[in-house]
This record gives sequence, structure tokens and C-alpha cells, in this order.
Amino acid sequence: MNNSIEISVKNLNLWFGKFQALKNVSIDIQKNQVTALIGPSGCGKSTFIKTLDRMNDLVDNVKTTGEVLYQGTNILDSDTDVVELRKQIGMVFQKPNPFPKSIFDNVAYGPRVHGVRKKQNLNEVVERSLKAAALWEEVKDRLNESALRLSGGQQQRLCIARLLAVEPEVLLMDEPASALDPIATSKIEDLIYELKKDYTIIIVTHNMQQAARVATNTAFFYLGELVEYASTIDLFERPRDKRTEDYVTGKFG
Amino acid sequence: MARTRYVRKLKELRQNVIDMGVLTVRSVEDVLTALEMSDTALAECVIANDDEINNFDRKIEAQCMTLLALEQPMAKDLRMIATSLKMITDLERIGDFVVDIAEEVVTMAKPIRIPVSATKFNELVADVKLMVADSIETYATGNVQQARSFEARDDRIDFLFKNIVESMVNALAQGKCSTETVADVASLLFIIRYLERIADHAVNIGNRVCYMEEGDRRYLK
Repeated sequence: MNNSIEISVKNLNLWFGKFQALKNVSIDIQKNQVTALIGPSGCGKSTFIKTLDRMNDLVDNVKTTGEVLYQGTNILDSDTDVVELRKQIGMVFQKPNPFPKSIFDNVAYGPRVHGVRKKQNLNEVVERSLKAAALWEEVKDRLNESALRLSGGQQQRLCIARLLAVEPEVLLMDEPASALDPIATSKIEDLIYELKKDYTIIIVTHNMQQAARVATNTAFFYLGELVEYASTIDLFERPRDKRTEDYVTGKFG
Repeated sequence: MARTRYVRKLKELRQNVIDMGVLTVRSVEDVLTALEMSDTALAECVIANDDEINNFDRKIEAQCMTLLALEQPMAKDLRMIATSLKMITDLERIGDFVVDIAEEVVTMAKPIRIPVSATKFNELVADVKLMVADSIETYATGNVQQARSFEARDDRIDFLFKNIVESMVNALAQGKCSTETVADVASLLFIIRYLERIADHAVNIGNRVCYMEEGDRRYLK
């Protein structure tokens, strides 16, 4: 792992009230690579990914210590511009969540919020983003149709296009294909592979085969701890920790 | 323990590989006994038994493919299946060399005479026999230290092989062999070549066991 580092997390602890959900997590996320986070339910992987764009701020009674260094600053600092942060570090959720608007307006939403007004400019951003999300060919003739009429897989790619439209650096994906059928899943996985050329991607997945297929590096979380972080091939072929071995071979518990 | 059925299938696979290994070891021992005792009947029996080794090869390959296709094995499970899949080819090849040796034994004049130093020849035979048995043992026990010793033991076998070949060629060159025994000397040359190759397959098995146990691909040369 010698590529440049996009996000460096140091000694991150997080509590929901008295419950400690993350325990002293330190990890360097490589730029322009896909990093997968795996682990059983409740292990802290979703909490971790939400920390990277301060989504946990929305939960009451959360306390964090440690550092999440991104572009030289600790994003956990209270003076972080969270709106700007979420523009640079965007999130795709488990269930596609398009706005009840047209396909065009979904993708144009972010640029409009950030001040892009000219129709020509918006057209360009929408086309570029839909192409990058491998959706353009399927929707270019019906951009004014409601996004809710798209299939689940198309809706998820639309949500990715909506993120790309605000030109982020990092894409966080929280089980982005778990609600999709195998064909839609493979399209998302192909897309992830293509997107890593331009973006740093962190994906939470319950599907270990998916992690194995798309990720360069994989981190295994258990009970709030980062147990093992290695290249994906090492983690799945020759894990060092007994807990990782038991989890990836399905013999946990 | 989760995945009980899967764990059972892995155990069955492992046991089948060990059974195939034990059968192959017995085959090697039998053919070398046939050679030592000039026992044509035993050699023919060894030839007939090769089908059983081949059957194991096909059966185990099918088991491995099923596990790979249906169970998505990872980590040590994956390495064990990959090792088994490759190792059965080594065992099957050893079985073929055993048949080759047995066929030479059948055609050679009886009693079979070794026209070179019996000590070196016997040492070669004993070393190969032991190394094949040890290779199966390392798979069964996961003894990496033992598996790592095979390279050095194979160097000794290669040395003996070259030495014996040289002695036989010299014997032929110096006209020490009668017209009747020249064909048998040629057979013996083939036999020691087969033994040397059998040892190479045992080394392969040792290297694969190192990979299976430790995940280190350096051993897969």
C-alpha cells in the first residue's frame, strides 16, 4: 500500500451515549482506489463511513475523539464547513433515494444549489455526470421523465450521477447494491471499477464476493475495532488475524 | 460452528486426498518391492491398481470444483482446495510413473540384476519412497518444517540419480554388460529417471503444503 493517501484516520473513537461504536480506529485510505469495509452487522463499518462525511452529526448524543485528516485538516473539528465537506465527500446509500423530480433535475440539483444557473452549463454537467455513471445511453431520450420511473439499478446509478455532478473527490457507498438484482449489481460494480480512475471510493458491503471483486484494499471491522486492513487478495487469501479468517470463511460464532 | 455442511465437505475432501495419497504411497512401495524381488505378478497388480488412483483424481477434482462453484471458499479453505486440486495432479503423475516402472519390471529378465553399486541404488530407492510418504504426511499434519526439507532431500536424490546414470553409462561404454543385459540396463536407466521425477512431484506437494498452511506463494515455483 504505497499509493498516496486521500484520508488518514488516526485513533478514532466514537460513542453513541455510553455505547462505544468505534474503538481506536486508525486507517489510511488510498487515493483513486476502492477500499471495502466488511464485517458482521453492528461491527461499526457504517458508523465509520458516516464519520467520513460527518453524517453521525445528525444522531443525538454522539461523541468522537481522534482525527480524520482530509486535505490537511481534521474534518472532525467543529469549524469544518460540513456542506462543503459533503460536496467533496459524497454518500450513496443502500436504497436508491432519487428526488421525486425529473431525471434531469435530480442530476442538476447539486450544481444548482452550488450556484450553476446557465442552462447550457447545466446541460453539460447532467450529460457528463450521467455518462460517468453509465446511465446516459439509457435515459438520454427521457431526461424529463420522473426519476421514480427508473428501475432500482438505474435509480442507484442516477444517485451516483447526482453525486458526480458536484465534482466530489471521494465517494462513500453504504451497501450500494444490496437492494439490486445480480445484473444491476454487476453494472454498479463495473461502474465502481471505472470511477476509481477519477475518485477515491470507500464501500461498505455485506457481500464478501463483491468486496473481493471491486476493492483494492479491504478492512475487516469487528465489535467497533479495525481488526485487519490489507490488500484485498491478502485479506481473502491469507488473513493474518484468526477473527478475519473465521469471518471470511463463514465460520464465525 | 457455522456452515456445518460446508465444513463437512471440506473434511471429506481432505480425507479423500489423504486416501489417494496413501494409495499412491502403497503403489510406489509395491512397485519397488516388485523390482527388488523380481516379482512380475506384483508389478502387474500395481499396473491394475492405477485405475483406482485415477478415479480418485477425477472424484477429488469434481469435489474441488463443486466447493469452488457453490461455497465461495476463502482464506485457508481456499488454499486447501487449491492445494488439493493441484496436488492430485502430482499424485496422479506419480501413479503414472509407478506404472511405467512396473511395465519395465514386467519386461526385464528375472532375476533383475543391478549392474552398479547396489548401495547407491538402494539409497535412491529408499529416499524416494520415504519422501513420497512424507509428502502425504505433511499434507495431513500441516508440518511446514518437514515440507521445507524436501528441496534439500531432492538435491541428494538428484545427486544419486546422476551418479548412478554415470556408472551405468560407464559400464555400457566399457563393455561390462553382455548383449542380453543391455536392454535391462536401459530399463534401469528409465526406472531411475522415473524415480527422480517422482521425487520432484513430492517436492511440489511439499511446496503446496507450505502455501496451504502459510499462504506464502513464494513456495509455488
